[in-house]
Amino acid sequence: MSKYGSRKTIDLEWIERWARRVNDDRVMPRLGRFFNARFVLGVDDVDYLLHMRQGKVEKISEGLEPSDLGYEFALRAPASAWSKFSQKTPPPMFNDIWAMAHPLHRQLQIEGNQLTFWQNMRAMHWMLSLMREV
Amino acid sequence: MNKHDPIVGRYVYVTCQGKTYRTFYEEAGEGIPLVCLHTAGADGREYRHQLCDADITSNFRVIAFDLPRHGKSLPPAGWHLEEDEYKLTTSFYSEFILEFCRALDLDKPVVMGQSMGGNICLDLALRYENEYSALIALEGCDYSPGWHIDPLHHPHIHGGEAVATSVFGLMAPESPDEYRWETWWYYAQGGPGVFKGDLYFYSVDSDFRDKVHKISGKVPVYFLTGEYDFACTPEMTMRTAEKVKNSECVIFGGGHFPSSEDPEKFKDVLMPILRKIIQNDPRHRGANARDWSARRVDGPSAGGRGAERSSDRRTIDL
Repeated sequence: MSKYGSRKTIDLEWIERWARRVNDDRVMPRLGRFFNARFVLGVDDVDYLLHMRQGKVEKISEGLEPSDLGYEFALRAPASAWSKFSQKTPPPMFNDIWAMAHPLHRQLQIEGNQLTFWQNMRAMHWMLSLMREV
Repeated sequence: MNKHDPIVGRYVYVTCQGKTYRTFYEEAGEGIPLVCLHTAGADGREYRHQLCDADITSNFRVIAFDLPRHGKSLPPAGWHLEEDEYKLTTSFYSEFILEFCRALDLDKPVVMGQSMGGNICLDLALRYENEYSALIALEGCDYSPGWHIDPLHHPHIHGGEAVATSVFGLMAPESPDEYRWETWWYYAQGGPGVFKGDLYFYSVDSDFRDKVHKISGKVPVYFLTGEYDFACTPEMTMRTAEKVKNSECVIFGGGHFPSSEDPEKFKDVLMPILRKIIQNDPRHRGANARDWSARRVDGPSAGGRGAERSSDRRTIDL
């Protein structure tokens, strides 16, 4: 095991544990008060659709369907990248979504309506950091 | 009993490229002038720990100024009539640093800058090698693309929160929470469009890749980069340092804001450099040189998916 910790399996059960951690967080309601959106967390070939309402995860769906009527934005990265990102002490270049998305590194794709993403970045950033407590 | 920091703040009038700027600076200490340059969109508070460190201020007159539009330095009068958005240029930045040093009658100061302040050290070495006695480039390199983007200044996006959150991950996860969130706060307080405008210099106007080999080596350049810096990676700094004569390169276990995100770890890597600067100073201005105990220095460390229908789709309501 490296100093950065062991690899995790990022699957639906893991996403659920993370979502419950987000919903239990004491700070998230303040940061996410206006965070109402549906976004995709892409892990390898699997898309997880998360419904956010006032900073809480209301629903998670594995895979996308036409009746979803789309989503606002997506963060897609290989499972290996999310696994490193979510370690207690993530390694350099995997410790932040901007590190992973930077043109120099290209681990993460941010797609869709970037305006919604930027408007809610503070809350997004906070909830993603809670992956390290799952 | 009241407790004060030893820092004193003042305003000096600096004329640069035809305009005069009332410029705020903080200083503490005596000895070799050490002029500190803040990062893009921030201000001189990033150096508050070094300004209060007697191990530094006993040998250096530490000075941290706020560029125009940053911190307590106002934009030039008439800024509201500007027809183009604010863009920091290499020539203005370099000349302003020089004019600030002249306004304070500093004699051959050392300049220490981080991020864009590190990158501008390359221009200072190229254009003004007779004006400075040493340059310390923190998180500096010859080209740092990708940061001059519109969402950083957009009426539908909270600039302070978006800017500060964008840079948060540049810090090392093990840097103390208190100081990482203090750095976040500096960024959240920046004026509208200032961070983005500074990044015009950082990512667009300052490609030194074909110039750094021309640095003569008359002024020593010390490069110092943290392993968590994804904007200026250790590899980018090392590649630059290889091309700069009379330079040294230290990679350490920190991030992009060493002076403010983890001042103790920064001190570990900065002190050996300051000691060299004192020893090499021809006029022995660091006369109070202390016998610093040896400190530990971290060694070099140097598709088509999702849209298909799934009959057994799993869904969780929370």
